[in-house]
Amino acid sequence: MATETAALTARVKEAALKRGALVCGVAPAAAFDPLAPDGQRPGDLLPGARSVVIVGGAPPRAGDWISPVAEHLESMGTTQRIEPVGRAVAVFIEEELGYYALHVPGGVGRGDRAFLSLMLAAELAGLGSRSLAGPVLHPRYGMLYYAAVVTTLPLDPDRPLETPVCPAPSCVEMWEREGTTPCLAVCPASRGGCLDGRLENGRFVRTAYKRDLCGTRVYTNWIGSFQKVLEAALDEPDRDRRKMLLYGSLFTRTLWSITYAGQSQAQCFECIRVCPVGAEYRTKK
Amino acid sequence: MGASQVEPSPEESVKQVGLKAGALVVGIAAADAFNEYVPAGHRPEDFLPGARSVVAAGAKGPTAGAWRSPNHEVMEITGYDFRENIAVHAMADFIERELGYYAIQAPSLPTAGHQPPMSMMLAAVLAGLGTRSLAANIILHPEYGMLYYAALITTLPLQPDHVVEKAVCPAPSCVKMYERLGTTPCLRACPASDGGCLDGTIEGGRIRHSFYDRERCHSRAQTYGPGSFQKSLLAILDEDDPARRKTMLCSDFFTRSVSALAFYRESVAQCFECIRVCPVGKVHRVNKK
Repeated sequence: MATETAALTARVKEAALKRGALVCGVAPAAAFDPLAPDGQRPGDLLPGARSVVIVGGAPPRAGDWISPVAEHLESMGTTQRIEPVGRAVAVFIEEELGYYALHVPGGVGRGDRAFLSLMLAAELAGLGSRSLAGPVLHPRYGMLYYAAVVTTLPLDPDRPLETPVCPAPSCVEMWEREGTTPCLAVCPASRGGCLDGRLENGRFVRTAYKRDLCGTRVYTNWIGSFQKVLEAALDEPDRDRRKMLLYGSLFTRTLWSITYAGQSQAQCFECIRVCPVGAEYRTKK
Repeated sequence: MGASQVEPSPEESVKQVGLKAGALVVGIAAADAFNEYVPAGHRPEDFLPGARSVVAAGAKGPTAGAWRSPNHEVMEITGYDFRENIAVHAMADFIERELGYYAIQAPSLPTAGHQPPMSMMLAAVLAGLGTRSLAANIILHPEYGMLYYAALITTLPLQPDHVVEKAVCPAPSCVKMYERLGTTPCLRACPASDGGCLDGTIEGGRIRHSFYDRERCHSRAQTYGPGSFQKSLLAILDEDDPARRKTMLCSDFFTRSVSALAFYRESVAQCFECIRVCPVGKVHRVNKK
């Protein structure tokens, strides 16, 4: 039985990598129970859930990171390429292995609440650990986009990382020298930024992340900006000004962003740009 | 003794990845070849320092079946499936992961105004995939006619393909028609002199001058998309009468405009008449069982 589960796990991971994932891990569905709120657990999405398969990949390419055109990286940061991989893995599990599989929707169900925390899933599947900068960092690749599949298929789970990826050794050195890290220095909460934190003995003992503030900067051309411009247009009594709002570049880009999400979603990467984790992977000839 | 395996060249390897990912054609241009044709700010080097090559991928739009559908709404909503973009992503990943060079998707969507950051049409021409036509300047591939194009920029040095030396447009049958009637199929389908978008003259079997009313064509070819959404929304917001506002909100036009945003890959181009009559690539639009 154990051998069979191991073989199935290997098949699922192979299928994920073949379909475009850079990394793939498995978390036991029950591991979410003590950590995720009611309604956001695998069993809430799929009765009888046994495993959660997490696929990661599709980060901005090394070339995107070095482009001197600010709009380029703004329009290339996307989760769009990892979502089809998640769906393909779900189809593989159902078609090839005969178990229920649910590709967790990438959007939100109500308010800002995700159906399942992909960051928690990535951590539980041993793909990375949380960072001072916010995202889960993979030890080799740094920031990745993730998609998850909840399934009734019993699989051999991976273990969470024993050593946190963040802070990297060079960040610990910087903290000891300057009392900050690259990500905290680039976006300090004390000066209008989103991040704060504290290191002790090479580990972070406190972090602060202003999610709402970050959201307004990271997603400047996305659903929020659609709502914002629409509200402004509705409130604008002057017809000419209303026309300018609706035909302006902000609203036009927002529409392209919503329409053509594969190209335009996230608009700020500065905390990750300076992160040493994955920097080697972002460096090419 | 087994046959020795010949290692594919980087050019062949990259192209194979693109073709396998869904591109119908893939071509390579030298990055600096753009400098002669486009202003600073729109060249490959402007987006990726050290850019050496541009790889363009072309994919089909409507299928042969869509071209012959008697229901014109079918063509209006089946103009695009993004295969060329997928091929470009696959090749860019291959170049970075397997060959170790920088690669980015060439930006083609405007970030302000209407000008694209980089011309995919020029990329296709310089990569030897086709030439400009009388039909709205659309790049025609010698074999397939109109294709959709995407491109990547990379620091990987690749041997560029030759540009197509013999202009694809006008096709021989169009030259004959021009000599006989003073027009071509596309010019006749949409003549600028009669409220259409196209005009041009042919001399010595080549295009001597061409005219394309881009703004007019845009308002007809992309009747459902971000532009029509903005137009409808403005009209709806300007409407004071709740009953009329409701009618506008629930109208076919607005519904299709929203649908065009939500299902973009199914709905972007709504007029194909100049290409419908084009002989280039026609064999791929007919002769199916």
